[in-house]
Amino acid sequence: MISFIIRRMGQLVLLLLGISFIVFMSMHIAPGDPATIIGGPTAKESDLEAIREDLGLNKPVFVQYVDYLKGILQGDFGYSYQNSQPVGEAIATRLPNTIKLAVSSMIVAIIIGLIAGMISAMKQNSWLDVTSTTFALVGVSIPNFWLGAMLILVFAVNLQWLPVSGLSEPFYTMDGMKQLVLPSITLGTASAAIIARMSRSSMLEVVKSDYIRTAKAKGVKHKTVIWVHALRNALIPVITVVGINFGALLGGTIITEQVFAINGIGRLMIDAIAARDFPMVQATVLLVASIFVIINLIVDIIYVKVDPRISYE
Amino acid sequence: MKKLWMTTAVLLLISLLVACGDSESSSGTEGEDVPKELTYASTSDAKGLSPIDTNDSVSSNVIVQVYETLFSLNPETMEPEPLLAESYETPDENTWVITLKEGISFHDGTPFNAEAVKYTFEQMKDPDRAAPRASLLEPIDTIEVEDEYTVVLTTKEPYGPMLAALSHSNASIVSPTADQEGDINREPVGTGPFVFENWEEGDQVVLTKNEDYWRDPAQLDKVTFKVVPEYSTAISMLETGDVQFLDAIPSDHISRVESLSNVEVDKQEGTRVSYLTFNVEKEPFNELEFRQAVAYAVDQESYVNQLNGLGSYNESIIGPKVFGYEEEATEYGYDYDPDKATEIIEANGYSDESITMLVANRDNYMKMAEIVQSQLSNVGLDVEIETMEWGAFLDTARAGDYEMTFLGWANSTADGSELLYPNLHSDNIGGSNYTRYNNDEFNQLVEESRITVDQNVRKEKLQEANILAIQDVPWVVMEHGVVTAAYDESVSGLSVDPTGQWSLYPVTRE
Repeated sequence: MISFIIRRMGQLVLLLLGISFIVFMSMHIAPGDPATIIGGPTAKESDLEAIREDLGLNKPVFVQYVDYLKGILQGDFGYSYQNSQPVGEAIATRLPNTIKLAVSSMIVAIIIGLIAGMISAMKQNSWLDVTSTTFALVGVSIPNFWLGAMLILVFAVNLQWLPVSGLSEPFYTMDGMKQLVLPSITLGTASAAIIARMSRSSMLEVVKSDYIRTAKAKGVKHKTVIWVHALRNALIPVITVVGINFGALLGGTIITEQVFAINGIGRLMIDAIAARDFPMVQATVLLVASIFVIINLIVDIIYVKVDPRISYE
Repeated sequence: MKKLWMTTAVLLLISLLVACGDSESSSGTEGEDVPKELTYASTSDAKGLSPIDTNDSVSSNVIVQVYETLFSLNPETMEPEPLLAESYETPDENTWVITLKEGISFHDGTPFNAEAVKYTFEQMKDPDRAAPRASLLEPIDTIEVEDEYTVVLTTKEPYGPMLAALSHSNASIVSPTADQEGDINREPVGTGPFVFENWEEGDQVVLTKNEDYWRDPAQLDKVTFKVVPEYSTAISMLETGDVQFLDAIPSDHISRVESLSNVEVDKQEGTRVSYLTFNVEKEPFNELEFRQAVAYAVDQESYVNQLNGLGSYNESIIGPKVFGYEEEATEYGYDYDPDKATEIIEANGYSDESITMLVANRDNYMKMAEIVQSQLSNVGLDVEIETMEWGAFLDTARAGDYEMTFLGWANSTADGSELLYPNLHSDNIGGSNYTRYNNDEFNQLVEESRITVDQNVRKEKLQEANILAIQDVPWVVMEHGVVTAAYDESVSGLSVDPTGQWSLYPVTRE
């Protein structure tokens, strides 16, 4: 197990190196010069030259890349082209918001998804099943920004139960929790729907397997069969979906952060791309990629815990 | 199973009840004590808070509350009036002797004097600092301190728009001490009515009242500039009272804002102009007949009608709120006449070629493009639209890799010379003259408007240049902007000037 983790971490480093190279080069190849954006439409060629000189954009791209890597090794991710804030500091202030949002959305998704999926599997073809599969279909199809805007209109503007925007309060306070409700539902709905579908089909499959029939034949109580014998085996594919979705959630935060005015990594990244803020784009992409890889690693480890038949030795 | 359902339902119900139990309605602003605080929402964050190092409207919204300029534009007449300056003289056309007000200090205690002015302007002009708006003060040759409160600016050639340039927020005076010892782009220090408190990048900028302001202190104790990227969310916040002030309302949202019962909406003619332009170095755009045909073919009214009152059409390139405008100029434009357009196009065989319109996917440019495309195809031109993201667009347009496109100019000094010179004078081809327009007679007139100090003569020169450009059609004007503000009914004293800027100094809440 330990050697497996070490091996995977080694792969992570190589992967990040590859990602950093691709992102660095694609940002430089893509049209749009940071100097023109900083200078604005009024800038003269001489002004732009001065800005390029200032940012080191005049050097050959490979030299810039090597300089960048050297910086990273010393823990220096550079400065934002937009407001000269250190990149590390910008990320540090925003990452907690994104993590708060992603984790709470995942919790919403798992609770709703698992409950809905289990119920539909237990009561296959009943009205509960129909309701829950319809919810799953609608949940996957609804665009994030629309759902967010509607939730704001209903719960924040008309009913005034919850705040319109922000995520500034600590999550363990009442205000903090209230701030989390709408964004988490907005971001978590699609994942909840996917988890519901996955757990339903996985559960249906397991329920039909031999050992469940044996358990039932032995006279084990229905509840025990479901919650002890079936659920654990049905969970494996669900965990995969949760893992992949958690990574996707981190990317999906962009729109939710936009709608709810949350100061997070997604917005930081999108603003940086629009402004060709190279150091900021690099760092945020690397961060999201690392989180994605680490989550996958954690999922692999959980497999072993849930299903003892799986081993990486 | 049933139990589980029931428990979940009960828990949900309880949490909902708890949630509404202690939710206090924040929109109820009627009542005794309205806090003397104001929150403004904008869709993006400031790039910086130093007038020397920034050049965008979001940053200048904060900058004008913290810093002050030597002169400021009277919002009614749009004429420059002394602010930090007491008075000025021009002993000859190349010399500006400016007397400063006495007894003013920056927020850090540094005295405001001629040295501070000299320091600021020299920083602005310093090539190493690479100030993005250095061009404002470019005509200034030397900056001399005559005495503590007198500064003398000399120019190589007379500079007509000097006072308009000195009124621009990017020419605000900064505290030399603060700039040398710290980073005013992150911790600004000026002489203005509000003092910088903090900036949480990406989230908000907070300012508080300057108790030692040289005039009466502001009436608001605290102002917050909040970043709300989604305009519809900002409107919801205005409705619930989380935000009290929004500006630059997009035309798609104006009807919702106007329907809010707790909100006042203010609309005024602005200085911004949006236009269709050509790369006049390419065929057939270098031919006057082609440009005339396009001007005849475009019906701006049908575009402006879609803006819900947030734009107006007028043939003049220099808009009604910009120095140099005379109503007479509008008579020289090409009125909508599709038959004439078809005639010219057929006579010159323009219908054979396919034209590409490069369109940036922001502001109203897509809307303009779709309408113009259909109008041009009505008169027999084959037009395709190519959309681009703003960053890529700027590069492509600047390099001249386009045929036709749409652009806008905010006219933040409200001076016609500052519109015609950067955009249409041949000095700026390869820079801000995206049209690549080069007309000797026009160049001459614009230069004269810049190097004349007599404002009446300047106005005449600008009028001539304007008429010449209207007839020669490097641009087809699409609309002149309307500036907007929406604010909570508890807010008073707020007014947006035609350049879109506003001061929170006279604002209060009651």
